[in-house]
Amino acid sequence: MDQGNIVICRCEEVTLKELIAAAETYRCSARELKLRTRAGMGCCGGRTCRRFIDMVARQATGEAPSHGIPLGYQPPVRPVAFGQLGGVIG
Amino acid sequence: MTDVLIVGAGPAGLSAAATCARHGLSVRVVDEFMKPGGRLLGQLHEEPDGTWWNGIEEARRLYEQAVGLGASVACGVSVYDAARGEEGWVVSTTEGILEAPVLLLATGAAETALPLPGWTIPGVMSIGAAQVMTNVHRVRVGERGVIIGVNILAVAIARELQLAGIHVDRMVLPPRNPVTQEAASPYHVMQSLLRVAHLAPSAFIRYGSRLVKSDPLLRLAVRCYPAGGVKMWRMPIHLRTAAVEILGTSKVEGVRLARVSPDGEPLPGTEHDIPADFVCIAGGLHPLAELAAVAGCPFAYLPELGGHVPLHNERMETPLAGLYVAGNITGIESAKVAMAQGAVAGLAIAEHLGRLRDRTALADAIAHVKRVRRSATIQFHPEIGRGRADVERMFQEQGISGK
Amino acid sequence: MSATGRIEEHPILGPLPERSVVTFRFNGVPMQAYQGETIAAALLAAGIRTLRLHEEKGTPRGIYCNIGHCFECRVTVNGRTGIRACLTLVEEGMEITAGEILPTPLKKGGHPA
Repeated sequence: MDQGNIVICRCEEVTLKELIAAAETYRCSARELKLRTRAGMGCCGGRTCRRFIDMVARQATGEAPSHGIPLGYQPPVRPVAFGQLGGVIG
Repeated sequence: MTDVLIVGAGPAGLSAAATCARHGLSVRVVDEFMKPGGRLLGQLHEEPDGTWWNGIEEARRLYEQAVGLGASVACGVSVYDAARGEEGWVVSTTEGILEAPVLLLATGAAETALPLPGWTIPGVMSIGAAQVMTNVHRVRVGERGVIIGVNILAVAIARELQLAGIHVDRMVLPPRNPVTQEAASPYHVMQSLLRVAHLAPSAFIRYGSRLVKSDPLLRLAVRCYPAGGVKMWRMPIHLRTAAVEILGTSKVEGVRLARVSPDGEPLPGTEHDIPADFVCIAGGLHPLAELAAVAGCPFAYLPELGGHVPLHNERMETPLAGLYVAGNITGIESAKVAMAQGAVAGLAIAEHLGRLRDRTALADAIAHVKRVRRSATIQFHPEIGRGRADVERMFQEQGISGK
Repeated sequence: MSATGRIEEHPILGPLPERSVVTFRFNGVPMQAYQGETIAAALLAAGIRTLRLHEEKGTPRGIYCNIGHCFECRVTVNGRTGIRACLTLVEEGMEITAGEILPTPLKKGGHPA
């Protein structure tokens, strides 16, 4: 089977082929790749696929891994109900 | 008033909680899982001396110790944000906002996936998922399984599945693709497997381990690796066969395999299908450090430690005042190292809050971590010591802010 | 023995303790579990692997990580959506439903089919 049809982001069903195509077209950062393809923007916050998005971006740009986190994290790092955000319960 | 808030009730978090509570600090531990113990909960293996390491019992012991000393432990609570406030750390949880002058992140590790065609089909799970289902929930994950990914964690858990009477048909490599990389290279996998060869019941691997220092001989061993795999613990381990696709629609029905070259390239015409009703993906572990990232902690990228780790020193302090880390968030090692690190973090926190009378205790605890590391039978990475030294050096260059 | 039943006996961990039975419904079908079991464990023990369909593509999904990281096992519990079956204990009378394909009228372009 064509390895390009592998789903990389399970939440948004973005395939390896789509990621590689976007990475080769734009030669962009992992963050831009995420915004362009929606990979890593689903329910889990990219916890399963973020390292793969970063790998694909780096393979296209030829950049080595850096000490900084490639795809930044923003709160909430877990999906929470709207009612819970901002509300002090305790 | 809580003095110390700990995220994660695994070996590091619970050890730290007990240590802090012993020094008269008010400690609150939260964990997302419904039971305390973290990844200790699934662990079950025979030690070299013939005794059994039962993670469930270790978890119970640590939990009872921490609670007995006065720590409060709340399970089923998710943490979704951590930020520095005026007085200390402000932590947002599904049970409301918690505040404390000291925050210890002991969130452990997450599993690394190995994407391949069909890996979203129900019945495909991470190897850790199978471990928890088997040993914690006591539900069979299936009748006949294939493990994709060859590494020490996979071998340990495969053994646990067998103990529970579940048939593991074989262990194979993932397919070579842009995101599986070294995990799909027979050469790299052979190299890492030979480093734990002293544990292997297979003569082929044990003899092979003597070749590990000679690269041409290692390459020869990969070329000559038996087509039928090498049987360890009643289970063939294949280094020259990869799973190229998982078969099925609404559930796993089988796995398509192909022979691969010593570089991991599939050999044309060698594809064949085998039946399976479950598949475990074993890509290893990496530190779960998202809360350290949202808290604003600087990171270091050290492959020896499993990837990006929050910058920290041997006292488990991060560069952010009042923010500590312990356990696998600082690098992938055994639960015993995590417990020893938890004790260090607890003592460092007690000192920070003016409760440590015996200063030598902290130095002793730091030395103990190194002893536990050296005596570990399994090293997740052979260069763990170098990774630890690098992170310490980077921390010293950075210094602690806001102190 | 069914492929995914409970592991009643274990050579090191011993026999499963006695637990009381809990009844719940999954997609309207009455089912039984034991007190203290997660939704994911109870359904797997009953031979159910598919916990939802992908919202857009409709591909079936089940547990993947089993410890709350991947959110693949999310189900609707008593009307609340997005509940992780792997972290949630079954309770008496629970109404659990699998996620289904959702209409996406606002989505422009989207992924190629």
